[in-house]
Amino acid sequence: MADKGFTPPPARMGGPARGLARGRPVEKPKDLRGTLLRLWRLTRGSRKGLGWVLLFSALSSAASILSPLVIGTAVTAVDEKSPVGAILLLLLGLYGMDWLVRFLQQFLMAHVGQRIIHHIRTALFSVMKTLPLAFFDRHQHGELMSRLTNDVDNISTTISNSLTQLLTYCFTILGIFVIMLTRSRILTAVSLVGVVLIFFFTRFITRHTRKLFLQQQKILGELNGQVEETVSGVGVVKAFCREEQVIDEFEEKNAELCRVSTRALIWSGYLMPITNVINNLSYVAISVVSGLLAVGGNLSIGMISSFLLYTRQFSRPFVEIANIYNNFQTAVAGAERIFDILGQQPEPPNRPDALPLTAPRGDIELRHVTFGYTPGVPILKDVSLRIPAGTKMAIVGPTGAGKTTLINLLTRFYDVDDGSILLDGHDLRDYRMEDLRRTFGVVLQDTALFAQTVAENIAYGREGVSREEIEAAARVAGADGFIRRLAQGYDTVLTQGGAELSQGERQLLTIARAVLAKPPILILDEATSSVDTVTEQKIRRAMVSLTAGRTSFLIAHRLSTIRDSDQIALIEDGRVAELGSHQDLMALNGKYAMLYRTQMGIS
Amino acid sequence: MKLIFGYIRRHLSLFLTAIFFLTIEAAADLLQPAMMERVVDDGVKAADVGQILRYGAVMVAIAAVGAMGAVLRNIYASRTSQTISREIRSDLYRKVQSLSLENIDHLQPASIITRITNDVTQVQEFVNGCMRIMAKTPITCIGAMVLLALQTPWQIPVMAAVLLIAGGFIFANVRLGYPRFGVMQQRLDQLNKVSREFLSSVRVVKAFRAEEGEERKFSDASQGLAGATTSAMEVMAVFAPLINLTVNLGIVLLLWLSRSGSTEIGHLMASVNYMTQILFSLGMVSNILNNAARAAASARRIGEILEEVPAQKAGEERPAASWRGEVVFSDVSFTYGGAGKDALHHVSFRAAPGETIGIIGPTGSGKSTLVNLVPRFYDATGGTVAVDGVDVTRADAKALRSAVAVVPQKALLFSGTILENLRWGRENASREEVEAAAKMACAHDFVTAAPQGYDTVLGQGGVNLSGGQKQRLALARALVRRPRVLILDDCTSALDAETEAKVLESLRQMRGVTVLLISQRIAAVRRADRILCLEDGEVRGFGTHQELMASCSAYQAIYASQIGGDSNG
Repeated sequence: MADKGFTPPPARMGGPARGLARGRPVEKPKDLRGTLLRLWRLTRGSRKGLGWVLLFSALSSAASILSPLVIGTAVTAVDEKSPVGAILLLLLGLYGMDWLVRFLQQFLMAHVGQRIIHHIRTALFSVMKTLPLAFFDRHQHGELMSRLTNDVDNISTTISNSLTQLLTYCFTILGIFVIMLTRSRILTAVSLVGVVLIFFFTRFITRHTRKLFLQQQKILGELNGQVEETVSGVGVVKAFCREEQVIDEFEEKNAELCRVSTRALIWSGYLMPITNVINNLSYVAISVVSGLLAVGGNLSIGMISSFLLYTRQFSRPFVEIANIYNNFQTAVAGAERIFDILGQQPEPPNRPDALPLTAPRGDIELRHVTFGYTPGVPILKDVSLRIPAGTKMAIVGPTGAGKTTLINLLTRFYDVDDGSILLDGHDLRDYRMEDLRRTFGVVLQDTALFAQTVAENIAYGREGVSREEIEAAARVAGADGFIRRLAQGYDTVLTQGGAELSQGERQLLTIARAVLAKPPILILDEATSSVDTVTEQKIRRAMVSLTAGRTSFLIAHRLSTIRDSDQIALIEDGRVAELGSHQDLMALNGKYAMLYRTQMGIS
Repeated sequence: MKLIFGYIRRHLSLFLTAIFFLTIEAAADLLQPAMMERVVDDGVKAADVGQILRYGAVMVAIAAVGAMGAVLRNIYASRTSQTISREIRSDLYRKVQSLSLENIDHLQPASIITRITNDVTQVQEFVNGCMRIMAKTPITCIGAMVLLALQTPWQIPVMAAVLLIAGGFIFANVRLGYPRFGVMQQRLDQLNKVSREFLSSVRVVKAFRAEEGEERKFSDASQGLAGATTSAMEVMAVFAPLINLTVNLGIVLLLWLSRSGSTEIGHLMASVNYMTQILFSLGMVSNILNNAARAAASARRIGEILEEVPAQKAGEERPAASWRGEVVFSDVSFTYGGAGKDALHHVSFRAAPGETIGIIGPTGSGKSTLVNLVPRFYDATGGTVAVDGVDVTRADAKALRSAVAVVPQKALLFSGTILENLRWGRENASREEVEAAAKMACAHDFVTAAPQGYDTVLGQGGVNLSGGQKQRLALARALVRRPRVLILDDCTSALDAETEAKVLESLRQMRGVTVLLISQRIAAVRRADRILCLEDGEVRGFGTHQELMASCSAYQAIYASQIGGDSNG
């Protein structure tokens, strides 16, 4: 399948990748205990399953601890030519149990783990959907997407995996240590020397590789940035014949990346083989020392065999534990980022005495409205406007003057800092949010269409709408014609989210959507700015029937589209600079009149 | 996968060196139990301390050789995998830069970026894993078999059976797991798609109170992914323990068969040890094979780009003398790949050197398509486009593009200083030339107002500038080039009317430059020498403002919509 756009970074890899990741910089969680507690709370409903998983992993590590002992006994028995049947039966039983609990543990984990992931993911989404627009404006979409998909996945698998691994490893270390100690103190001491060596060696290596991995990340980031820039801007690169230069730049970074990551890889790669060598050396030491002990009659042959198997099992957990703990910390830090979102303030709830808004007239008044996205930087300053029910208000002004901000306040995407906005005599905040949003129909400049059928897109956000109503709305919007020319008509699926339609066609669909919603108040935010003037006329005709008898706000860049509004407000620097009808403002011969004349090409 | 092996083949000697040292490393591991066996049988059994110490010394020597092998293997394996990924990345990037825009549209830039960044990393990790673990497994298995054959031939059938059965399980695991991992990837894409849609439409979602519906969509997608993942993990849950069990049963069988006591005890211990070594490496193999599914998907995506055939062939022609800037369209038609309808339909016109041609027409009428044919971003599907008598499809692209400058609708700048960005136009432009161009584009004032002036560093894509500022810099960049043909693709849309008028006025002062000026506004094109009016990809009129007003109904309609008395809108 060809992926479109964003593909998340690879999910956590198994064995080898973990080995390579050793010494990667660790992100430290801010509040380990608190975060774990919150995670634990999210596992409600799956705790029984998790308990079983833990039990099974404990059993499975018990099997792996005990089997070398049994093997040793069997070897001794073979050596002494005594019957081995019973011992082997025990071993068989042990292995059988090992198989069963391993299977059960992994099978259960597949289900429980995914259930928890699904649960956290949907919990995250259901919080996210209630968050105010300010949140989405502040965060990059790519970042939020990776929160929703990858992070959740990473976190829950890493945490559940490392938790079980951590437990089994601790269990294994302890179990083996006890068994070894009871059998031979000398051999235990020999084993421990190896383990201690491995432990310090691991620390030494990871300290060294951390720097290299940091460097690698930095260069990789630079490289990716360069790729992103020059691939999405490939047209400009070609236009200016810069192919060779950008390739040179790329190759330079690429070579640097190769150099640094080879070094990082080599250094972190030393860990496995050197550990192995230390292992082999303790194997030799055990062989020799136990051989000497056995010659002295202080040790059975079987015991040598058991100890040899144990040394192989003993050191692994030590190597892994530090690594697992690091993974674990990174995952918990990731979980904190998720809880950050879960802890965001949702849109303020309705007041208990919130008013229902059943049949709004559409009288709107702004009283000394002041608002800014960042405290201390007001975008709107003391704006007062009155829009009587059923009239058209146009808002014009340069980019950044605060036109769109006004819309954000009307629909309560944001709340005013100071002053108030009244609808039919009551503050907007007095109404129930769902009623209020239903009162406004918004047609935005960026046409948001979904990968559904055309009909579903028109009926977006509404249920139980008949086909006739949809088609009627499309006719009013003047969209019926082109829809019928599509391959499947109203049932055509917009697989590319509308990219297959022209800008004008997309805009007509969103207008049809607003027509169908029959909102008492209409907001058209630069709805025609990116279409040509002839198409715009078509859209305007659709809008005439749409705005008839409704209170409407029109935000426009092109003044030709708003001449016939009842009132025009020129906003400049967050204030209403000029206000009146087209004729009034032309007569005033101020900024509006000047803008109008330049746009019309009348000098 | 073929792709990956292709790259490995290119570095076969490096790869084989790594494998060679890996073999030494594995052999050393394998020899340890064999020596141990001698310690037991010749030393302990015979109560000979000298033998024990002698074999101990041999074992240390073997461990040392193994260590050397491991260290060298590590160096060579790291080099190989990094070199391979560097080459894949480099080939991909070069390929992308060599493709025509048509190819890139088709592959989608966002998707290309992911492939160069993420997919290459996936492949690299796989190659690395291959050399570290996957190759070690067959070596360990074969080595163990050989050693057994030398010492205790009767155990071979047991070992062979174990390997055969475990291999069968691994095979089944991959056969069943691979498609499931594929489904998982698809569902992940689906979940991403749903979240992307929600995030980019969040205003509409909220305005229409459609949060519940979006949540349902998301939850379904999440459920789908969870289901697919569970099913893939179930396969692993079934087979991984079975592989374990097989090897463990082998151990029991070996012990049982040795009960008669005919085998030397050291041999038995060695065999048990081999079994555990094999068990360890088999576990790693199934792990890697599961990653292979991912790497294969990545390799396929990389392959798609590498196999893309550039839509254009390079030409070599240049005009007899220097470029003058005559642009001639003769019966030009153009269709975007996959679209049924012509974007341009039998378009013919001539722009004389130094002439300014205004191009106007509704959205989707083919204005941008038309000018994109001049610097040969796309090739006409019918007819010819010629600059100074040279058919652009046969022209030397570099020479052609150095004579033609484009200011696109969407101003794109790159990270670096403003000066560096402007010098994209011409590498060796002097500071004075750059500033002169910036003045013409009305950019000089805001640039010098910044504390660092022309040395102001722009973030990626020029994020720290407003839309209007970016457009003016993009224009200045084109002017620095001193082009013979200047294409302005509705590039003043983000400027306020005043600045726009100023910019257009200063462009009018230029001499000896053919200008193709696209705009949606009559006011911007009416002073052009001639105006080309397009509709539905066809020329509806070509002439001066007065001529078109007299004869072209499409032009009249546009005029009426913008200026003429129509005030009922």
